[in-house]
Amino acid sequence: MTWTDLAPLGVELILLAGALSLLIVDLILPPGDKRILGIGTLGVFLAGLLATWTLPLDGLALGGAYEGDAMGVFLKRVFLLSGALAVLAVQGHGPKAWPRRQGEYHQLILYSVLGMSLLSGVRDLILLAVAFELMGVPLYALAAWQKRDAGAAEGALKLYLTGAVSSAATLYGFSVLYGLSGSTRIADVAAAVSAHPSPLLALGATVAVAGMGFKLGVVPFHMWVPDTYEGSPTPFIAFLSVGPKAAGAAALVQLLLPGHGALLGTVMELFLVLSAASLVLATLMALPQSNVKRLLAFSGIGHMGILLMAIATGTVDGLASLLFYLLGYLFTNAGAFVVVHAIREDGGDDSIDSFNGLVHRSWFLSGAMLLFLLSLAGVPFVVGFWAKLFVFMAAWQAGFEWLVILGALVSVLSLFYYLRVAKAMFMGTTERRDEVPMHWSVRLAVSICLIAITGMGLYPNPFVAVAEAAAKAFLG
Amino acid sequence: MLDSWTQALVFLLLSFAVPIAMLVVGMVLRVRSRRKTSPIKHEIYECGEEPDGPAWIRFHPRYYVVALVFVLFDVEAAFLFPWALGIRDNGWLAIADMTLFLGILVIGWAYAVRKGAIQWQ
Amino acid sequence: MITDPRIYLSIAAVLFSLGVYGVITRRNAIGVLLSVELMANAVNLNLLTFGRFVTGASGQVFTLFTIALTVVEVVIGLAIVVLLYRTRSDVLIDIASELRE
Repeated sequence: MTWTDLAPLGVELILLAGALSLLIVDLILPPGDKRILGIGTLGVFLAGLLATWTLPLDGLALGGAYEGDAMGVFLKRVFLLSGALAVLAVQGHGPKAWPRRQGEYHQLILYSVLGMSLLSGVRDLILLAVAFELMGVPLYALAAWQKRDAGAAEGALKLYLTGAVSSAATLYGFSVLYGLSGSTRIADVAAAVSAHPSPLLALGATVAVAGMGFKLGVVPFHMWVPDTYEGSPTPFIAFLSVGPKAAGAAALVQLLLPGHGALLGTVMELFLVLSAASLVLATLMALPQSNVKRLLAFSGIGHMGILLMAIATGTVDGLASLLFYLLGYLFTNAGAFVVVHAIREDGGDDSIDSFNGLVHRSWFLSGAMLLFLLSLAGVPFVVGFWAKLFVFMAAWQAGFEWLVILGALVSVLSLFYYLRVAKAMFMGTTERRDEVPMHWSVRLAVSICLIAITGMGLYPNPFVAVAEAAAKAFLG
Repeated sequence: MLDSWTQALVFLLLSFAVPIAMLVVGMVLRVRSRRKTSPIKHEIYECGEEPDGPAWIRFHPRYYVVALVFVLFDVEAAFLFPWALGIRDNGWLAIADMTLFLGILVIGWAYAVRKGAIQWQ
Repeated sequence: MITDPRIYLSIAAVLFSLGVYGVITRRNAIGVLLSVELMANAVNLNLLTFGRFVTGASGQVFTLFTIALTVVEVVIGLAIVVLLYRTRSDVLIDIASELRE
């Protein structure tokens, strides 16, 4: 190994160097106003994004444990954007609510994105385990952010316990995969599975996938999702509900699809069952929710079902639809949570009632929220429609007709609970007529998400083309 | 092929049998204790020292912080041993690697000190 | 010196199962943490056995990493438990259900 070997890790090196320098800045600065840390973090994310276009990121690194390709670059952009949105949305809230801990919030998000970024091109089980942890551990700390609040500590404990159990299970699965194939390289594991299919290998893969399912929050490993969402700071949830989910999907793709989906074949039934269960149960549980964050949590679980469906196809089309879905879901879900954050800042309590009559107080927020909800439900002319359509088409071609029909039915049903929020905003009544106060950062974050989802909804083609090229680069 | 199936079967049986067996044993034992309750049953140790005061006494939180910092840095030292074995073959590159690794740890240490994680007062 | 890897793998499987059992039945958060640690050590035993009997050094390298990962996790878990204890002065999990519906 030499130092030139590290060229494909350009984005990761920028993130690491940026995070460490910001940590040093945080230590040198006297306690007080530390807004500069937030701006610096945004700068690091923008530099990373810029690097995905300017630096040569293709090729092997870390002695073959990491390989940069077009899919990795695509995923890195998704991860960096999710981190940037989470940091942007907190710029107004952070200096007021926890002025002494601004450095830590930004640090933790940076390290989590660093872990995700490493996951985008992982070719080795050891690196996969390490990167997955690097992504996950900062999330535990961030979930416990509101440390005076017993609910937050509980939500964090639930996230932590499911996370710790799931990583132990994943590692156990990895150890079996490694032991039976004699190599930690994912390609070798896949080759061993094709050459000597053994039930023990399937068992190892099943345990590993179940462990990752915990992190994704698919049914039946979803118990932590609503509690953690409810108890944590909303800008962080805008991140947690998007970045780590995309990274989890990416990790599943990296683990299961190489070698013509050899490992995927061993867990196919499990995948389909988990997907169907997530779609149905999440929708049924979302219907009676009165808290917007819990409602969005269950909606997120349903979306994970669609992600699993896309991965299960194992085809280039399926992978391309997955990548496009991740991009669309990023802006849609993050945008929705940033709106919830703005309402919370205004004195709301995350209940649907606090959205009553929002249209009289801010046409911008209510209109944006409506579009985000429609995109989540998959209504035409916003990105969610195309994203779902492409996944369904790929899944139909792969022969999962029943799952597609189920997904479409559930999407229609999901309109009901999304529109409950819309109904509160447009038909609910409120005494208040004052404009909802909004920090510039919140306005900017919502605007970015809004432009992205309508832009991708009206002109999906260029983004689909990039996603397809990325999927082809990975599957060859 | 038969052999590997047997292994999987043994594994599955074990992983089901152990928890089930423990639950069953626990259930059998519990029946007896339910019939006759005595204050002794509620004690933390049925034999041995009488517990004095509540089990969950308030340790000073600083204790945990110091312990956590110690454990973290302690385990990172595990990476030094394989590095020391391979340093001859890899030369300066290995030294640069470890310098980077330790450098990051030192920044973490500086953070812990600056935020007062290891100050007792 | 026992030379049959299956013995070690069986011990690891039993350890892992004990850990799962503990995670499911323990009410005390510290107990759950201990059980998770048991599961992680089953992983280590597995990796070391495979590394010793089947392939070369990568099993041991993997073990070093899993040890570090587990410790990092346990440390942050303990920190969260301390936090919970400060806000509620107990660490029993099924009482930790204010959030449940």
